[in-house]
Amino acid sequence: MSSATDVAVRVEGVSHSFGEPGDAQHVRALLDTSLKVKRGELLCLIGPSGCGKSTLLNVIGGLLIPTTGTVEVGHTPVRGPLPRHIAFVFQENALFPWCTVMENVKLGMVFQGVPRAEQEPRARKALEAVGLAEFMGHYPAQLSGGMRQRAALARALSLETGILLMDEPFGALDEQTRMILGEDLSVLLSRTEKTIVFVTHSLGEAVFLADRVAVFSARPGTIKEIIDIDEPHPRNPDFVTTEKFAKLRNRLYGLLHEEIRKAVSQSAVVGPQS
Amino acid sequence: MKAELLRRPGLARLVVVVALVALWEIAARTVVDPMFMAPPSEVLISLGSVFDTGGVPAALRITFWELAVAFAISVAIGLVVGLAVGLSKFSNRSFMPIILLLYGTPQITILPLFILYFGIGPASKIAFGVSHGIFPIIVTIVAGVQNIKPILMTAARSMGASRWQLFRWVIFPHMIPSFFAGMRLGMTGVLLGVLLAELYVSTAGIGYFTTLFTQNFDPTKLLGLISILAAMAIVLNEIVRRAEVHYGRWRTD
Amino acid sequence: MSARSEQRGRWASRAVQLGFVVGLLALWYLGTTYWGISHLLLPNPVKVWHELRDVLASGDYLPDLRITLTELATAFAISCTAGVTLGYVISRSQYLIRVFEPLLAGIYSVPIILFLPLYVLFFGLGPASKIALGTTISFFPIVLNTIAGFGYVDKIFIVAARSMGASDVQMFRHVLLPAAFPVILTGLRIGFTVALLSILGSETIASLAGLGHRIVHLAEAMETERMFAYIAFVVAIAVVLNSLTSGLERRAKRQ
Repeated sequence: MSSATDVAVRVEGVSHSFGEPGDAQHVRALLDTSLKVKRGELLCLIGPSGCGKSTLLNVIGGLLIPTTGTVEVGHTPVRGPLPRHIAFVFQENALFPWCTVMENVKLGMVFQGVPRAEQEPRARKALEAVGLAEFMGHYPAQLSGGMRQRAALARALSLETGILLMDEPFGALDEQTRMILGEDLSVLLSRTEKTIVFVTHSLGEAVFLADRVAVFSARPGTIKEIIDIDEPHPRNPDFVTTEKFAKLRNRLYGLLHEEIRKAVSQSAVVGPQS
Repeated sequence: MKAELLRRPGLARLVVVVALVALWEIAARTVVDPMFMAPPSEVLISLGSVFDTGGVPAALRITFWELAVAFAISVAIGLVVGLAVGLSKFSNRSFMPIILLLYGTPQITILPLFILYFGIGPASKIAFGVSHGIFPIIVTIVAGVQNIKPILMTAARSMGASRWQLFRWVIFPHMIPSFFAGMRLGMTGVLLGVLLAELYVSTAGIGYFTTLFTQNFDPTKLLGLISILAAMAIVLNEIVRRAEVHYGRWRTD
Repeated sequence: MSARSEQRGRWASRAVQLGFVVGLLALWYLGTTYWGISHLLLPNPVKVWHELRDVLASGDYLPDLRITLTELATAFAISCTAGVTLGYVISRSQYLIRVFEPLLAGIYSVPIILFLPLYVLFFGLGPASKIALGTTISFFPIVLNTIAGFGYVDKIFIVAARSMGASDVQMFRHVLLPAAFPVILTGLRIGFTVALLSILGSETIASLAGLGHRIVHLAEAMETERMFAYIAFVVAIAVVLNSLTSGLERRAKRQ
């Protein structure tokens, strides 16, 4: 049974190119990509560098209008940012350095249009959920990379959107921090009912966090295959040691390896990333 | 004693300064003709008489006032022009080259013109000061607006920020440390402009007295007057510098 | 923004700049020719142009130019030598840097032009006082940049060279000097620019000769056409000298 309400995001035939044909910088990032994101699932987008996964994320979120194709969130076509429905967490540190953590979280709500009285309690709730309650008054420069990303996540959570788009949020962090944040994210998400689209480079991260993993081909990117990961949330940290995990990870590796090689040989081309 | 000095460079600095002043004192009293140089002790003692010289306190007061007004005007014009040029890519590309060209020209060559147009009173001094002060302010504000990391603008847009909200909550706060750095440089410019103009006009204001003391071969009073002006400059510079340190707190670069 | 609209934007900006300059010139010409602005305040651009050609053709500028350039060269030579030498000596020890750098930076933050009357008292109205002021002012950026250049060479290079057995002379020649060179060069360029400006400034305020003085003299004689011609001339000289020094700095850094 598949009714319209089960689909949170519908992507149809999206292609995107940067620059005009004939320009030196013309890049075909995405080619004829279609996707249905189920409500409440965590969908991972994984693929080699430059395959267009971040581009697709930006298109879904309304930050980019695709050259062809459409995106629908619920029944609304996406033509620009939808701050009430979609929140972002970026890889690059997008916290405002002149604001404290609390001020950063509140500022997001100011932009979204949340009434003044609701901002403080919502901010507190989000910061507690990510474990940053003690650091509310700190400035981003005073925090570690992992804590900054927690703050960015809190800001996104406080917007109370149905959909969360995360673009390699842990990409700039070291392995150990990634592990901890991944486990905490899984716990957090089991408590909410958000739909999440999560871009990553890491095979292990994809298998650990996702309900489904969409594997991209090399540029121009399109979805090669979607793998199901049938494992309940919150994921047990021991899941990574199981044979099931290893099998899934190997499957991903098999799908990805040749695409990664293709991408590396393409990387002489100068163009926008992913 | 040596160990103490080695551990505390601040103390050593003080010793160096004292040694230089002592050298000055000795040289002025023994080697150099008193017509050309005065020992620091004399200068200190005679500071009072400098103030007693008719017209000096008024000239000092007017100079200070000129500095304050020129600075205020520079900041106002610099802020408005800086924002106007920085916020629009088109304005930036069109007008920045012109501004940089003007910034780089030796304005000293047109000082006589300023006096010609504005007279020998405070107006010309203020105008020349403003002319020196606005450029660093404009340039730093434009940089502050243009250097904002694109990800910050993207994040704000993704959260639904309107154009006004983008300016009020993202661009403006980001630009503030640059603004204060610009004001520090602007103060240096204003000091230079106003003092140059003052020294040039030898018939009124500070310039009259520097010329007078020079022609009368009175190094004591001349040094006294210069010291007072130098102190004024140091105080003003320090005020702006402290403001910059205080408001530039979040900057890590 | 696509490449084509980028190009269109660039042309539009150039058009604005051109329009701005042409507009100003037009206003200048119309104002003095038809709208009755007194020639004592703003001379006619055509007359200024003729005066400029006359100045250039007759070599009228030569004596003043020679004086100004001599003062500049002398002042810069002295401040260069003193600044680099002292800067190097101070940079040899972290302690000396901590003692002297803030001191030098502090003195530099005072407008040193204030000392001009003192120099005039001491050296008179001739070139000596201008050279003295030019030397004093340009000394500071040179010494400060030299300290920064030699003093803040990345430790890793020094450690690596020592581990390979470099002697002190080798260390200086092959590690310190090349590492410090770009920073020192910038200091020299700034020092040169600042020396030129202070010399022009002191010639304007208190002098009997030189380009700065010439402009003042013409202003007092109300010969505004010739004055404007000389202003244009001096600005052109300054622009040429600045481009030369910036160009030299860039060439030297590329090596």
